[in-house]
Parts: sequence; C-alpha cells; structure tokens
Amino acid sequence: MEFLDEIKAKFPNVLESVDGSNENESVLLLKDKTKIKRVCKEVKNHFDILFMLMAVDKPPKIFELNYVFSSYKTQNILTIRVNIERDKAVIDSISSLFESADWEERETYDLFGVEFIGHKNLKRILLPEDWPGRPLRKDFEVTDEVRNWTGLDLKF
Amino acid sequence: MEEIKNNEFSYPGLGEIIFMKTEKFIEDVLNWGRSRSLWPLTFGTKCCAMEMIPFGATKVDADRTGTLFVGDSPRQADLILCSGTISKKMARRLLNAYEQMPSPKYVIAVGACNISGGLFHDSYNSIAGIDRIMPVDVYIPGCPPRPEMFLDAVLILRKLIKENKIKRYENGVLGRDKS
Repeated sequence: MEFLDEIKAKFPNVLESVDGSNENESVLLLKDKTKIKRVCKEVKNHFDILFMLMAVDKPPKIFELNYVFSSYKTQNILTIRVNIERDKAVIDSISSLFESADWEERETYDLFGVEFIGHKNLKRILLPEDWPGRPLRKDFEVTDEVRNWTGLDLKF
Repeated sequence: MEEIKNNEFSYPGLGEIIFMKTEKFIEDVLNWGRSRSLWPLTFGTKCCAMEMIPFGATKVDADRTGTLFVGDSPRQADLILCSGTISKKMARRLLNAYEQMPSPKYVIAVGACNISGGLFHDSYNSIAGIDRIMPVDVYIPGCPPRPEMFLDAVLILRKLIKENKIKRYENGVLGRDKS
C-alpha cells in the first residue's frame, strides 16, 4: 500500500509491519512510545478518524495500546500498536489531533489506569469518581468489598 | 394523689379515646385515597422498562387502577417503578430521585436485577438488589416480568397501603409505618 510506505519512510527504524496483517487492515508496531504524537500527525494525512482505542493487559510487564484509524474515502483500516510499561503507564495524548480520542482515552484511563499527558479533561467516564481500583487489569479481583461498595453514606 | 396522676399505666380518658379513634379514622380515609391514585415515576434503566410500556397500554390497562402515567416527575409521583439494572453510578441518581418524592412514597422493584442483582450479581459495577439502598414494598420476579404482573403488584401494593404495612426508613432505621 502507498500510504504505508509513505508513513514508514518518514519514521525509519521506529515503525515496523506486523506479520499476518491484511491489505486493507494493516498493523504497524511503534517501538518508541514518545513518538506517538508525531506518527499520528502523519497518519492524519491519510486517515480521517480514530474509531477505536483498545488497551490489552499483558502481565507482568506490558500494556498494549492499539490505535485503530479509518478512512472514509478508501475504507482502509490502520492499527498502530504501542507497548508501554505496566508500572509506569504514561503516554502522550492525541486528543488534540483526533477529537474522538478524547472519550477513548478517558475510558482507557478509567478501566486500565493509563495516563495520557496533555489531555484536557482526564477523569473517569464510566465509573464513579471515587470508585476504588482499575477493573479491567488482570490483577484486579472482585472481592466482597468491591461488590458491596455503593459509595453512599447509608446508616442502616 | 400525685403518685396516681404520674402513673404511666393509667387508663386513657374518654376525650383521649375519641381523639385516637378520630385520628385512626382520618388516617384510614387518607390511606384509602392514596391507594386508589398511585402516580408512578417510571425509573426505567434497562429491558424491564420495555414491559412497562404495555402495562400502561390498552390490553393491561394501568389507568383503571388509578395508576396514571402523568408527568414522570419525582415531585408529583408517589410510587417509584424501578426497572432495570442499577449500576453503582446510577445508585446515587436513584436515591436522589427517591428523596425528591413527597412522603408517603412506595417502591416496586421490577425484575431479577433489582431483587438480587440477577445476571449481574457478581459484577463490580452493579448493585445486587436495590433493597441495599432503599426500602422496597413489592418485588416483581421475572427476567423480564410480564405486564400483567405489574398490575398484580399494584393491586398488592394497594392492599398493603390499606392495611398500613408499608416499609419505611425512619431516622435511618427500617421500621413499619406507624401513622
């Protein structure tokens, strides 16, 4: 594909094609997480929207972030895959480039605890603000304390 | 003589008896009135709310029991029809709506999720039964229940109101209604 070569040519040694990806649904592995914003700026020349941001928990060390972009014209799909450390889950926000990244990043922050630097309104989106824990992490256990939590000050 | 006057086991006088009888009579008349015009607040969060629609429609006519779907505002409602899973974030909104309703107020818990958590009883983000956060008078089992069961629940609630058996939290303690 043309756009793949163009994007890869701008970032040599950093972007790498993943085996087994289709023509229309290609996957690129980004080795350096600090360059995510620059790569996405380049991606924006070929793709219109970020329609999905998935995080996959791979204990003990890695969170795998998948940024899935799509184009209205050519109907191509591009996934950019970044591995970040589990202990220090911090990455630059791309919400200034793609508007839809705003809520996707808030959801990832809510359920996994990945922090996005530069996000304007980074707070929980699905769970209550004072809810304890990050539920989609693999080491999260549903204990009785979590089940009975209501967050309400009830005296009976 | 003073000792006899202060005795707490003394019998009530005739005036007191008449006052107590009158108070009870007025309360009975009020309860009779309340039981015949239950305006519900339809707090539908999920699929059980779909069964609430035929409950108000022609075949199972809710209007003939005085259950009028007017306004859907907690300020005018005296019955809350809570149907659907209540998530932990929604629990505060539910309690907020419940506290806005004028007393006396009644609660009907609709469906398995509201009774015990149902399918989501083990979830990290749902309340396992709304009787953990508010008093419930009538439970409707089923997943989802049939619209006829809503009618049955309202008839049971009418009976409970007339017999003064409504649950209520007073000063944070669950007690039977005394008034």
